[in-house]
Amino acid sequence: MKSRALDFERYRLIACLGPGGVGKTTVSAALAVSGAWRGRAVDVMTVDPAPRLLDALGLDGNASGPRTVSLKVLRAVPGGPGRRARLRALKLDPKETFDSIVRQHAPSAAARDAILSNRIYRNLSSALAGVGDYMAMEKLLELVSQPDTDVVVLDTPPASEALDFLDAPRRLLDLLNSRAVTLLGAPAGLLRQFRLVDLAARAVLAAFDRVTGLNLLADVQAFVSGFEGMYEGFAERAKRADAILRAADTALVLVTTPETGRIAQAREFLHALQKAGLQVHAIVVNRAMPALPDAKAIAAAKLSAALKRKLRRNLADHAALKERETRSLEALSAVMPSQAQLLLSPELDHEPRSVADLGVIGANLRPAPR
Amino acid sequence: MHLPRVLFVTGKGGTGKSTVAAALAVALSHRRFTVLADLSTHLGAAALLGAALGEDQTELLSESLEVVALSQRAELNSFIKRLVPLAAISERMLRSRTFGYVTAALPGLEAFLLLERLRMMAGEAALHDRYLVIDAPATGTALELLAVANGVKGVAPVGTLRRLADDVQEFLTNPHRFAVVITVTPEDLSVRETLATAETLKSARRIEVAGTILNRSTNALFEARDLEQLGALEEHRALARKRLEERAAAIAARRELERAGLVTFELPMLYRAAMGRREISALARVLATGLVAL
Repeated sequence: MKSRALDFERYRLIACLGPGGVGKTTVSAALAVSGAWRGRAVDVMTVDPAPRLLDALGLDGNASGPRTVSLKVLRAVPGGPGRRARLRALKLDPKETFDSIVRQHAPSAAARDAILSNRIYRNLSSALAGVGDYMAMEKLLELVSQPDTDVVVLDTPPASEALDFLDAPRRLLDLLNSRAVTLLGAPAGLLRQFRLVDLAARAVLAAFDRVTGLNLLADVQAFVSGFEGMYEGFAERAKRADAILRAADTALVLVTTPETGRIAQAREFLHALQKAGLQVHAIVVNRAMPALPDAKAIAAAKLSAALKRKLRRNLADHAALKERETRSLEALSAVMPSQAQLLLSPELDHEPRSVADLGVIGANLRPAPR
Repeated sequence: MHLPRVLFVTGKGGTGKSTVAAALAVALSHRRFTVLADLSTHLGAAALLGAALGEDQTELLSESLEVVALSQRAELNSFIKRLVPLAAISERMLRSRTFGYVTAALPGLEAFLLLERLRMMAGEAALHDRYLVIDAPATGTALELLAVANGVKGVAPVGTLRRLADDVQEFLTNPHRFAVVITVTPEDLSVRETLATAETLKSARRIEVAGTILNRSTNALFEARDLEQLGALEEHRALARKRLEERAAAIAARRELERAGLVTFELPMLYRAAMGRREISALARVLATGLVAL
């Protein structure tokens, strides 16, 4: 029953990437339960889980710290997990995480308050490009550094592009270190030393304010300069997170579903990750169709002709869907890097509601037929 | 019933927004000229109809159907090109990474520009008596997008942006001009999210919900007593039961949506090995008969 799909002895970090709505959080939670089942001490960080999954993991809407998930169900199974096994779950709260980083690293109380009360920061610290992703990174560093944790499973915010998450630190750092922003407050006399493009940027940004009537630029500038002195720390941690994501004991897992559009998206993700020099270890195709029964059994059965017709029709209908799925999977297989595994996660007949359900999903993960 | 000229198709991820938007556009294009605006990053609806579009490109698919690919990024680009008429400079600026991050920090500006573009397209649609179908982002993002105009009103009490925001808000809340169509599948989670979305749109935003499209709704095929005879064929029985359960789920979903006052139109599950233009046409034919209901 225990999943052999991923080698939990080998990996310290399993990071699940993928677009929204494919069940990334469910797959992350199922992998975490599998790891615990294999006797490992696992921490799983989820992003925006569905209410039932929250219940399954024993989290409530407000929990920000890690919660221990009961493994009683797993231990009841003969050959269940050993004593070291442990599962803790936490839910990422980007705003909360950002606040605590600012509190922890601000050079002074005044700098801290200036950031926390800044209009841009208050309205945007969750919406700002890449903040959710960046905070997941920060939390990741915290989790990975705990000595009593064997494996960290990381669910990432929904992405429209593959590198949204992996690129987040660079994007945020670029903003915090942005020349154009520092330019905004520069007195006109100093402007000679800047390039033409920077001047144009300044002009456009100033025009935004004029056209929009928002007076936001002063706030943006204050926001960015508030991070002066913290920038080094941010950059250093981002570098560490990046190194962890590229480490040999990290598994990047791309999650998708078998629908044609999603598979096309997964192919794009894969391509972008490879281009960025990142190795994908597995692609999990979530909610895959189960195998279909044999048509011959219908002919042999003692049933009315009408019922046999219905059975054949039902089988043919599902076979058509299965064929659609097979075609999509073939399209994905064709671009799979050689070291990566293609894993199918068969659809459950209900939403996962408990650790036992997550255990079943983990145990059912199987390599796609070649 | 009177359908507004602009239909904004949204729904939970995976409920078939792009498929429904494409089918709806094809169905409407048999009545009068229709523009399908694809806002999805991977241009789902456009691709289903066989259009290969780049950002901000347009393709005429038939004499009465046109697809256009819109993105927040492209709207920002053209906004900037209007502000900085010197192409050499504006283009270099747009390529500058730093600039991208700074504009991303301005709350909802890109989204707002996109809404303003949609409002302008809606104006054209009204002028030429056309339909505009929008393949919008998934519910969460879509709700944020639709809230942007109001958000702007909150932070910009005066100025050009405020005037634009007032116009956009007037457009979004005018049921004769704009309505949302929500796609939903016969699953508990999807139905619950749809009910919450419809409630938010109607009560908090005063935006018209034209109705919901219950996508992938299957026919029963079997009767409950058929299952009793399938004792020996366990796997076939399970597959038959699945079908009956899916039908029951569709009925339950429909009942729940209608109880909440939402006009609900069922779009059948297509048991086909491919999903392309032919399938979209099949769905469009079904939709055409139901447009009266929406």
